[in-house]
Amino acid sequence: MHRRPHSAESPELNLVPVMNLVTILIPFLLMAAEFVSLAVIDSTLPAIGPPQPVEEEPDKPPLNLSLAITESGITVLGADSVLFPEGAPPVAEGETRPPTVPCKSGDKCTGVDDYDWEELTRILGLIKDEYPDDENVILVPDQRIKYEVIVKAMDYSREDREHKGPDGEPRLLFPFVVIAGGAIN
Amino acid sequence: MAMKKARRQSTDAGLNITSMMDMMTIILVFLLKSYSTSDVSVAPSDQLQLPTSSAIKPPELAVNLVVARNRIVVDGVPVVDLTVVPDEEHPGESMVAVPEDEKRGQVITKLYDRLVEKAEAAKTLAEQSGSEEHAFKGRILIQADKELPFAVLREVMYTAGQAQFGEFKFVVYKAG
Repeated sequence: MHRRPHSAESPELNLVPVMNLVTILIPFLLMAAEFVSLAVIDSTLPAIGPPQPVEEEPDKPPLNLSLAITESGITVLGADSVLFPEGAPPVAEGETRPPTVPCKSGDKCTGVDDYDWEELTRILGLIKDEYPDDENVILVPDQRIKYEVIVKAMDYSREDREHKGPDGEPRLLFPFVVIAGGAIN
Repeated sequence: MAMKKARRQSTDAGLNITSMMDMMTIILVFLLKSYSTSDVSVAPSDQLQLPTSSAIKPPELAVNLVVARNRIVVDGVPVVDLTVVPDEEHPGESMVAVPEDEKRGQVITKLYDRLVEKAEAAKTLAEQSGSEEHAFKGRILIQADKELPFAVLREVMYTAGQAQFGEFKFVVYKAG
């Protein structure tokens, strides 16, 4: 009888110190918050030095896969035995070979999405079937190709996201990308 | 008398901060979740928009080379300003380029000097620490704008290569 009014009058839990703490923590955490996540793509300069002696299998020449990226599309070089089993089509003198993966909209690619990336991945998949141990690809972009396109080319030649491997991961194609200096005019 | 006064005070302290506490607690949890201790920081601007990629490798600490659309920055210090020149093959269009007087052949001279300094400093540090972990490996983080033409990028890469930075790490936004 004597206690009841006492407990009713006991003050509420004093939250002010907790509030102080939280108010200080929030600006600190806001500063350290990460709203975009970053990643890196590894690439190296082509090594300068004597060529490494390669143990060649007589019936299988080593793959020296290159992707030439131009404004008219992407040309896959160094894998003619896969792309053209009956021999490469003849190219008239003074003309260049048409790109292996032309732009979706025609002669000149208008943007990043105009390159036919799915087709590139499909072709690289075919090459990977023939050369399962090869992991290198050389990118040879044209002067005015945008960096965005180069990054996209690295993405689509690194892995095939449509076809998962046995472990559920995307199938690795050619993960070691080297960017060549391009043709010096 | 004293008792009466105390009672009045306790009833007057009417600000109810419980709901604010609820909100703060939720914000706190959210911010803790997005807390990052990443070594690499990016300051995006109009002139620097990184491309998006499906790469998943986390960035690591290295010399930070930023190639924005208007300038090249090494570890936060501007080195070379870039210009816009008319595109020879496509009349009416323009493209970003390194000014001719900043170059010696393919090498961007000021950038080369700065990177050599960085390489020397890193090597001295590696010698002093003596451990294999800190050995100079020529790693360089490249943050480049997605609109940059390859010509600029090639000159930057070539210059970095001349200054003994051969292991490029292109910083990109993670897709999704």
